[in-house]
Formats: sequence, C-alpha cells, structure tokens
Amino acid sequence: MTAEYRFYLKQNIGTRSEPIVRQGDRVERGERIAAKPEGLGAALHSSVTGTVVLVTEDEIVVRDTGTDFFSYRRLTGKTPWERVEEAGLVGLGGAGFPTAEKLRSRLGVNATVVVNAVECEPILCHNIARIEEEAGNLLDALQIVMDLMKAPNGVVAIKRRHTKAVAALRAADRGGRYRIATLEDLYPMGEERAVVSETMGVLLPPDSLPSEANAVVINAETALRIREAVVLQKPMIDKDITVAGKLRENAGVKVLRDVPVGRRISDVFEMAGGLGNEYGELIMGGPFTGSRTTPAKAVRKTTGGLIAAECFPKGPEKIGLLVCACGANENRMREIARGLESSVCGVACCKQAVKVKSAYKCENPGHCPGQIQKVMELKKQGAQALLIGNCTDCSNTVMACAPKLNLKVYHTTDQALRAVNHPLVRRMHPDEKNGKNRSEANVYDD
Amino acid sequence: MSMTTETLKANLKEPAIFCCRRRRGTVISAADLEDPSLFDDMAEAGLLTLSGDALTVEEALGATLLADCEALTPILPSIVEGTRKTEKEKSERLAPMEAGEPAGTPFAKGASGMMHIEIKSLEGLSLDLPWPGLFPSEAVAAAAPAALSAAVPSAAQGEDKTLRTLTKKYFQAADVVIGEKTSFEDGVLTLDRGLLEKALQADPLVKEIKMDVIKPADRHIYTDTIMDVCPIAAKVSGTLGEGVTHVMEGAVFMLTGVDEDGTQVHEFGSSEGYLDEKMAFGNPGCADGNDIIIRVETIIQRHTGMERRGPLAAHKCEDVIIQAARDVLKTANQAPLREEICRDVKKHGRPRVVLVKEIMGQGAMHDNILCPNEPCGVTGGQKNVDLGNVPVMLSPNEVLDGGIHALTCIGPSTKEMTRHYFREPLVRALAADEELNLLGVVFVGSPQVNDEKTFVSERLGAWMEALGAEGAIVTTEGFGNNHIDFISHIEQIGKRGIPVVGVSFCAYQGQLVVGNRYADVMIELNKDQKGFENEVAGCSEICPKDALRAVQMLKNKMMGVEIKPAPKKWSQQVVDGNNLLLGL
Repeated sequence: MTAEYRFYLKQNIGTRSEPIVRQGDRVERGERIAAKPEGLGAALHSSVTGTVVLVTEDEIVVRDTGTDFFSYRRLTGKTPWERVEEAGLVGLGGAGFPTAEKLRSRLGVNATVVVNAVECEPILCHNIARIEEEAGNLLDALQIVMDLMKAPNGVVAIKRRHTKAVAALRAADRGGRYRIATLEDLYPMGEERAVVSETMGVLLPPDSLPSEANAVVINAETALRIREAVVLQKPMIDKDITVAGKLRENAGVKVLRDVPVGRRISDVFEMAGGLGNEYGELIMGGPFTGSRTTPAKAVRKTTGGLIAAECFPKGPEKIGLLVCACGANENRMREIARGLESSVCGVACCKQAVKVKSAYKCENPGHCPGQIQKVMELKKQGAQALLIGNCTDCSNTVMACAPKLNLKVYHTTDQALRAVNHPLVRRMHPDEKNGKNRSEANVYDD
Repeated sequence: MSMTTETLKANLKEPAIFCCRRRRGTVISAADLEDPSLFDDMAEAGLLTLSGDALTVEEALGATLLADCEALTPILPSIVEGTRKTEKEKSERLAPMEAGEPAGTPFAKGASGMMHIEIKSLEGLSLDLPWPGLFPSEAVAAAAPAALSAAVPSAAQGEDKTLRTLTKKYFQAADVVIGEKTSFEDGVLTLDRGLLEKALQADPLVKEIKMDVIKPADRHIYTDTIMDVCPIAAKVSGTLGEGVTHVMEGAVFMLTGVDEDGTQVHEFGSSEGYLDEKMAFGNPGCADGNDIIIRVETIIQRHTGMERRGPLAAHKCEDVIIQAARDVLKTANQAPLREEICRDVKKHGRPRVVLVKEIMGQGAMHDNILCPNEPCGVTGGQKNVDLGNVPVMLSPNEVLDGGIHALTCIGPSTKEMTRHYFREPLVRALAADEELNLLGVVFVGSPQVNDEKTFVSERLGAWMEALGAEGAIVTTEGFGNNHIDFISHIEQIGKRGIPVVGVSFCAYQGQLVVGNRYADVMIELNKDQKGFENEVAGCSEICPKDALRAVQMLKNKMMGVEIKPAPKKWSQQVVDGNNLLLGL
C-alpha cells in the first residue's frame, strides 16, 4: 500500500481549505491540517499519522508512518454545534456542500429533516449496507440533526426494495417517532428535490432549496458522520465506498467501510481484491453522475463509488447526444462518445433541463416530459445512434421511439452496469414500480 | 414533447397521445400529452398510428388513467374515466398539423377581393391608394392589400435624401484571350500568361494554377468543383458604394479547386462535372448564358481543402489575376455599353426595414471577406471569421459595389457566390421599393460554437432594436447547422416586436430542424424539382422572383395581412401559387 496520502484542499463546494501544517510537520490521525476558509468551506483533517511531505496550493501529502486506524484525535468542541463545525463535514452524497452551512439554514416552525437514504445510483450500496446494520445509529443521527435545527419532524426516505434496511429502520424506531417513507426504484429518486417531492408532495422549482418547503435534506452517510462527530468526537476522515466492476473477482461489488480519505485509488481497488486485467475506464462516483478518475488519484470526502467499467464497444460513426440534467453533463458525454470512437453530430437537451448557475437542473426529476421531438431532431442531424444519460423514465421514452427510427441507443451508464452484470437502463419493465429492479436488457443492446 | 398551457389551447381538438409512459391513476394534464404539431413527423417515421377512436385533448384533460400506458399511445375511452363530454367536432384531419416550423412559403389570403384596412386611432389621414399602381396585377392587389403608403400621411413623402450615388459603367468584352501582355482594347481582354507565375506567389498553399477561356459554346467541358464566380469590376473614383465603378460585361472569372491528392475543395457536396450541367446559368451569382468564362484552376496543398486557409489561398491567387484585369478595365478606351445608377436613399416617412444576410463563418472553411479595396476583391478586406461573426452593416450600395467576396464552400446550389452579392436581387428590390426605407444590409456570420451563435444573434437583435427597425428580412445560404442561427436571428428580431420574414433553401432536404413562433413566414428558395441540394452551383440561391415574394410577404406581415400557414411538407405548388398571385 502506498504510504503517501493525498488530501485535496478543495473537496467541497465553496473555497479551498487553508493549510495550517508545513512540510516536515508530524501529524496524528484526526488532526486538523487545513482550516476552514472565510466564507463557504470546511476544515480538513489527516486520516493518517505521519509526516507532512508536501504542501501545495492544491493538496497536502502526508506519509503514513504506522497509523492505528482504530483511534483518532478527538474533536475538542463542547457542544454538538461546535463539533459539527469543527469536523469538516460536507455533503457525502456527492455534491460536497459544507454541512455546517447547510444546518445553519433557517427553517420555519414545524420544519422537517429528511434523511436521504435513497442511494439511487445503481451499483452503489454502501449506504444501505451500513443502514442494515446500524439502523438505530441512523435514527439517532436524524434526531441529532432535528435537535440542531429545532425541527420536530423526521423522515427517512429509502427505496421500497431495500426491504431489509426498511425493516431494520422500522424495528429501530420503537416509538414510531419518525416517518419511514418508501420510494420506488427509479433513478433519480435520490435527487434532493425529488426526495422533497416524493416525501412531502412539494415540487420545488429547479433553483430552489428544500428550505422553501420548510425542510432540509441530509444524505444518510452525512447524517451518520454527523452523529460520529457529535457523539464520538470523530472528524470527517473516513468514507464508506462501493468498489465494483472489472475487479480480479469479475463483476464484483464490494462495500468498504471507513476507507481513510486521501488513500490512493489503486490501493482502494487492492482492498477490494484488485483491479482486473482489462477495463475501459475508472469511474469515481455512480454510473450516472460519476466522472473519470485515475489510479494515482486519492479518495475524497465525497467519493462514494469506484467502478472499473467494461471496455468501450465500437460505436457508430456519428452519434447524437441527448443531454439531461439528471445524468452526465455534455462534457462527460463527449468523453464517453470518444470512448465509443464516435463523432458527435448533434446535441439536444431535454426540455426539462434548466440552467441553474453553471449546471443543469431538472424541472421535474423522474417524470419524463417527452423526448420524441429531440430524438427526431438528432436523427435529422445525421445521428446513427444516440448516447443518452437520461433517468429511468426518460430513457424509457427514448426507447419507445428511437429503435423504431432505426437508431441504436447507448446509455452513459452502460459500461459501468455491464461490468457488474446489472441490467442496462433502457425500457422500463411494467413491474418496475413494484420495487423490483427489472429493466430489460433491450434487444438493441449488443 | 409535452405541451405547455399555451400550445394546449391551440390543440384542444387534436387527438390525445401520451408523450411518455404514464401510470394508472394519473390525472391527465398538458404535461402528459404529446404536442400534436409533431404527429406528422411521427406518423411518417412510423412512430404513431392514429385511429379515429382516440379521445381529443379536450376530452382527455382531467380524466383519470385506469391502466399503465406506454409513450405514444392514443388515449382510448376504455382506459380512462371521467372524460369530458364535448361535441364530436374533431379537427377535420387527424394527422396533419400546421407546422410550427413551416417548410414552404405561406401565401397571402384575401381572395374575397375586398381590401380591408383597420386603423385603430389616427389623425389627419390622407389616403393615397396605389391601385393598381405598384402591383403588377389586380389579382395581387386583391391578395395583398399591403400598400404601406396608405397608412402614412402623403405629406411625409418628398423629403427623401440621397446619401450616396454609385455609377456602374458596363464595358462589353467581345472576346478574352490569353497572351503576352494584359490589356483591354477594342473590346478584347488579353490576359498575360505570366500572371499565373505571379499569382502562384500570393500563397504557398497553392501548388499549381492554370487558366483557360471557356466560350459559351464550349461549356461541355469537365470542371473541378466551382468555388466562385467573380465579376471583373474596378473602382475608378470614390470609395466602395459611391463614385464610379467599371464593370466588365460578358466575361467573368470562375475559380475551381482540388487538393494535391485530387480531393475536391468542398464540404457538403461539390460541383465537379461537366460545366454545362453544373451551373445555373443566368442566376444572379452565376455566369450568364452568353458570358465568356475565364477559368482559374487551382491545386492546393494536400488536406487543406477542408480548412479555412486552403480555399482562402486559392481566392487570393485568383485575385492577383483579376486585379490585372481590373487595372486595364479602369482605363478602358471604349464607350461604356450602359450605365447603372445606384442610390442609397433615406426615404422619409416610409417604414424602416433592414435586410439581414446570414453568411457562413464556421472557421473551418467558410468565410467571407467584407469591404475589400476593389469591388469583389480579396485584398484589403476584413475576414468575417476573424471579426467573430458579429453583425456588420453595409449600405445597399456598398453591397452592390462588390462589398462582399464570398469564400463559402457549402453546398453548391445554395451557395451565394461573389457575383451574387454584386447583383443581389433582394438588395435591389428593397432599395427600389418606394414604400420601404431600407436602412442597410446587415451581414452576420454563422459561428460554429453554439454559445457564439447565441452571442451574434443577440447582438443582431440589439442592433435592430437600436435602429428602430419596423420590418426585417433574414436570409441564409446553405441549410442544416446554419438554420440554428437563422431561426435564432428571427427570434431575436421577432421578440422585439419587429415583423420578420425568413428566406432560405429548405424544401425536402433542408427542412428546418428548429423553429419558434416568430419564424412563421418563410420564403422558399429551392429550384430543384425534388427539393434537394442538387450540386448545381447557384441553382437555389435568391433569384429576382424570390426577392419580390419576400418583399411582398414582409409588407403583408407588417400590415397584419393574414398569411396562411404553410403545409407541413414542402410543396412547390405553394411557391408557384405565390408567384402567380404576384404575376411573376
């Protein structure tokens, strides 16, 4: 295992953390190595005990000199608030919004805290795995956040098909104090506004935050880490990760608990049995919204998935991109098109995708507005096939027309899903809403 | 694509079709139903079969779905409950819908023979009705009561101001020969063969250059792709757009190009083949029937035919030869065959209109040179791509004095070549129209990058607003990618409340892929029987009839005359019908 741990100074939305150590300093596991900057940001702690070997504008590198991974330097804050602020927590669902900042948002009376345990990206399962064993801790975490925010209502949103986790939660909720909301198995049920819409019946406009529905939505692992900070005085130094794909054990899906932040990606794959000989690309994150990474990079606070995807098939000469807000962005789609060795002849954007700041947000996540016009448009532009990144519902609509137009359909998640023998995102099976994940592997897929 | 509340209202009588899969229990709303304007395309593509049993939009709204339903499924009475009862007067045809994106030319209504002018409030009206006056036939007058002067006080006329005058003097070239010394004497243009050597030095990318003279009777001759037809015109006094320009009549230059590997210089269709089959002789941008064609054949560096620099190099070299001809034309010792006076006039009291010409500017090989030193020249001009494709204003005279040298290498039949601008029929028609005050001609490029497309369109809109334009015609050459800009220009103008007419080749092959509600009046330029880019140079460019239709259509739109929507599919009959209405 590589002794060097890389701590990126920018692991969250906002400004980068400010180093407070210098080259040569000794640091302990759990010790703060970079401070929260002015404004939006978070502190950063070393996940190993060792020597600081490099401090640059972008990262601090610490050489592990024999870390006891079962202990850590404790947070010193006296109150729960102080500990949350000190812990360097960020949203662990992927976005990385500083948690302390989020919890500071003012809610009205009778507010609601929703723990987002939807984990809607396919393959990823580290949240559910943890909840199955620590349902009580999750409810404790929910109560801590409710107390911090003075919100009387607590909800856990989780997919119906995770029957074991749902049962564990119900069992742990002895007093019936919390609402366990069970959702359908569709992507993007876990999108923040989709969670609000599904659990509270309020469809927020794309540029709104849940606070407009008098609610706050916290990712399940974030909640658990908040609990660790408050109860165990533990800073944000470890992360649960799903490692999957073309591993030495083919089509493997492994959940790794408490992987130290900063560990090299290649080492994390080793922990899961090692990378296979052949793979197409390494993806950090889930199949839908993840991005390409390399073995030399390091685990971030927000790293949820590491997937070694299947090798790219050879695509058609000309491909049309159907960009939506819920999946890969246009750049990522172009990257995948290059993988398919196809040239992009047209780009259409889902009608529901609305630009908020620099990214797209979906007006009504998971509810298709119709895609046929866009598909015909791309066909007119010469597309021989489509590359789509759409959610389950929109992909289903595309599949209702593209094959009839003699257009083959590729989905951005294909190679990741193939690598674990997961059904591809194509046509929805009519029973899918019953919680069975049964999207058909379509005949148009090779 | 589901409907908005707005589209919903217009489509209440249309069949209700689910745009996407919907679950049992769904209460049907606009967001669940496919936009009926797509039905034609969908039916054509085999995506949809309509049956007479389907509920109409009006009936289906608010009903509850009893079973899961897939996308593109007509809503049958049996699968819903709570439908609204309405009278069964469905729209006559189930399939065809009016186009949101018209593909042909709409034509004016008014067959009743009545003329209707509605003026909500007005003082001191004095009517001068041009009856039949400006219009060539009664039928047109009846069809097009758009005599704009009717609405403006006549007293306002008569204060027109001539801004500049251009005199074009035409000299007949009876013959062209290649000889030892360049001269123009007694109607014979002699071109020094030594010019080829000199031309070759203009750009190292040109590896070989040849020149020959093709007489009208000898046109059954093989030619490489036709890159340009360029008149011989020389500035004798004044600057571009004013003073005196000498023009050679009866002889034009034609530039052709291949690369060292023999690949034609082109992107979308090239026009190599027998010359007599590959040019629409007599069209504004082409050689006329009796023209002597001086062919300059270039061979450019391998693989540069699809880059901007390759074609540009060929044009530069040709310009060296033309310049020699210009120099001798300036001192022509014979009497001119005829004179043409062009005036830029500020027509007082007439509605201000602007002609917007979208030109190519897609870095790779499409460029246009603006305002060169000599009419239709290359030297001294500004390259549209280097200018960032932003809108640039030229006066009508500047355009007709060769203010544009065209490098565009798109589809031959829709391409506007250099001679086209020199004889632009739409500029002439608008400038000559006594009812309109043509403010100028805006040239706006068509950038490759989408963000830049938006940028130039928005700048165009800002210009139109600042100019206080009251009407505009937008033209484009080519089709496909540039239609994105084209429609965006129309939107930027239309949304400022300025009536706007679009002019483009669309027909069958170039159907508009985008549209918006301002793009409701279009002039079709196609001259190919089957509606294709037929690779005949200059075939489907703007011709005088197209120009007159465009002007009339603009007047109709400005006057609020009802214009019938085009049928969904291109039909030559619509164009023919309009020509007939205008007596063309």
